Amino acid sequence: MRMSYNIEGGDFSAAGRASSEVKRTLKQFNISPLVLRRIAVALYEAEMNVVAHARNGAMQVDIQPHYISVVIEDEGPGIEDIARAMEEGFSTATDEVRQMGFGAGMGLPNIKKNSDRMMLTSTPGVGTRLELTVNF
Amino acid sequence: MVKDRNYRHSIQIDRDKCIGCSHCMRVCSTQAIRIVEGFASISPERCVDCGECYRVCPQRAIYAKDDGLASVHDNACRIALVPSVFIGQFPSEYSATQVLKAVKAVGFDEVFEVEQAVDFMKEAYRAMEQKDHLRPLISSYCPAVVRLIQVQYPSLTHHIMLLKAPHDIAALYLRLAKEKEGLDSGKIFIYYVTPCAAKIVAARAPVGESVSPIDGTINMTEMYNRASRILWGEKNPGLHKTTANMSPDSVNWSLSGTEKHYFTGRSLAIDGMENVIEFLEKLESGHIADIDFLEMRACDQGCAGGILCPGNRFLTVERLEQRQKKLQRLKERDHDRVDNPLMAYSETLHSLSGVEPVYPRDGLLLDDDMEKALVKLQRIKKLLTYFPGFDCGACGAPSCRSLAEDIVKGRASISHCVFVQRVMEKNYKLSPDQAFIVIEKIWGKDRLNKYNDSNANDA
Repeated sequence: MRMSYNIEGGDFSAAGRASSEVKRTLKQFNISPLVLRRIAVALYEAEMNVVAHARNGAMQVDIQPHYISVVIEDEGPGIEDIARAMEEGFSTATDEVRQMGFGAGMGLPNIKKNSDRMMLTSTPGVGTRLELTVNF
Repeated sequence: MVKDRNYRHSIQIDRDKCIGCSHCMRVCSTQAIRIVEGFASISPERCVDCGECYRVCPQRAIYAKDDGLASVHDNACRIALVPSVFIGQFPSEYSATQVLKAVKAVGFDEVFEVEQAVDFMKEAYRAMEQKDHLRPLISSYCPAVVRLIQVQYPSLTHHIMLLKAPHDIAALYLRLAKEKEGLDSGKIFIYYVTPCAAKIVAARAPVGESVSPIDGTINMTEMYNRASRILWGEKNPGLHKTTANMSPDSVNWSLSGTEKHYFTGRSLAIDGMENVIEFLEKLESGHIADIDFLEMRACDQGCAGGILCPGNRFLTVERLEQRQKKLQRLKERDHDRVDNPLMAYSETLHSLSGVEPVYPRDGLLLDDDMEKALVKLQRIKKLLTYFPGFDCGACGAPSCRSLAEDIVKGRASISHCVFVQRVMEKNYKLSPDQAFIVIEKIWGKDRLNKYNDSNANDA
């Protein structure tokens, strides 16, 4: 079962809509609430990254009987140093974004923590692609 | 996975009064109501007994099934547990003592104000804070909120505080105190005067407890009518308390915004079903972090807005605030002393105040089997492309989405949608007579007989 959502960069007021929608769908399945929560948190963080850093992006969701796989792709600045970006506390968020309570540098580590498999690729100046899988 | 499949409810539909008008269906926060054969019908696995349907029913066909005054035993020690909001139903010229006396005169041996147990609750909160637990902790006070979380927010059930409600604590205390006086525990019957349907269910089918310490529930409206008759007949002003029998702000515990002050850290008080849902939705999605405690009440203004409270909720709030001031004066006059007999039992009560973990319910589940559920979801998506999408409710379901879900669960058919029906008739897939039968299956027999072509000239 596939679903796809657009994410608009800079639209903080709408941030979290796509991940909420996925969460709402998953609640109709016999999935452990703890797994549900992990997925919700990982997707929200991923969606926030697009909103905070990129111009626009999309979330593509594939729900299978034993796992969920999600690809979040964006057009934006990309990530220069992926290894550093994965460090807790590292953030390139602007002061403006930080003042809104985001950009604490926990996003990517948090996504990794909450997913069973995660792959991050990026081309600086072009965009970022994040793929994650969570097993049910 | 552990599931809670205890689906008993207080909210009921009186088929003698229900005309299937669907007002209830449209306000139900959990989409638990459908119209079937001309009557509203509530799905037990989704209902949370919040009573929003009760508020809007123009026929007064929805009621909260309680045990009632008729259930009160004769040959026993009968104790009425009265919440402060009951006292707040009466104008301030009636003292709390006078109102409680009137309740006693209705047919009880003793009357006890529930909020005296709040002094204990505050202690229990302090003890709870010391423990390591998930944040935010969600108050277990409002049983409609607890059930809403079980049905709609399965991943938040383990955030619910595992603590009994004040009226349960009061009941436990009374039992202990009476047994100490030498009374046979089998002869003690405790009745709770309830401001809402959710608390009736909490007493009858508690979550996290095998039995509730409450023996029976009495609708607050019924008690209000009986007590009012007694109070109206009284010419002389009633007696007043001479000492504070609970700390002053305890009296406001059931209202929105008092409980949260007893949890250090970031605490929020949220009231009203829609507000609670909006917040839980965000919390479950991970949008909200760093909150330590959530006080949540299904009713606007907390229990003052309970569906079985006959008075105006804002007047009730103001009266309770006045009572808080009175208790404050009594407390100050008595060298800052509060004389609450319940607190002598605090140690024993602490050992009894916990409840078992709360588990999710199945309300939203499409199918236990993941593969079947996926197929059903695909079908729902497909069906949604056939429906108009403006949730007219003519199919007897609250939204196009609900109809699609009902269809895949085998509880409705695609011809229930009046838009699809027109197309089917046009393409000769459905005869006008068959279409009539479909409508009658939803809205009841003879629903389409009000108009006939000869009326056309009158209009």
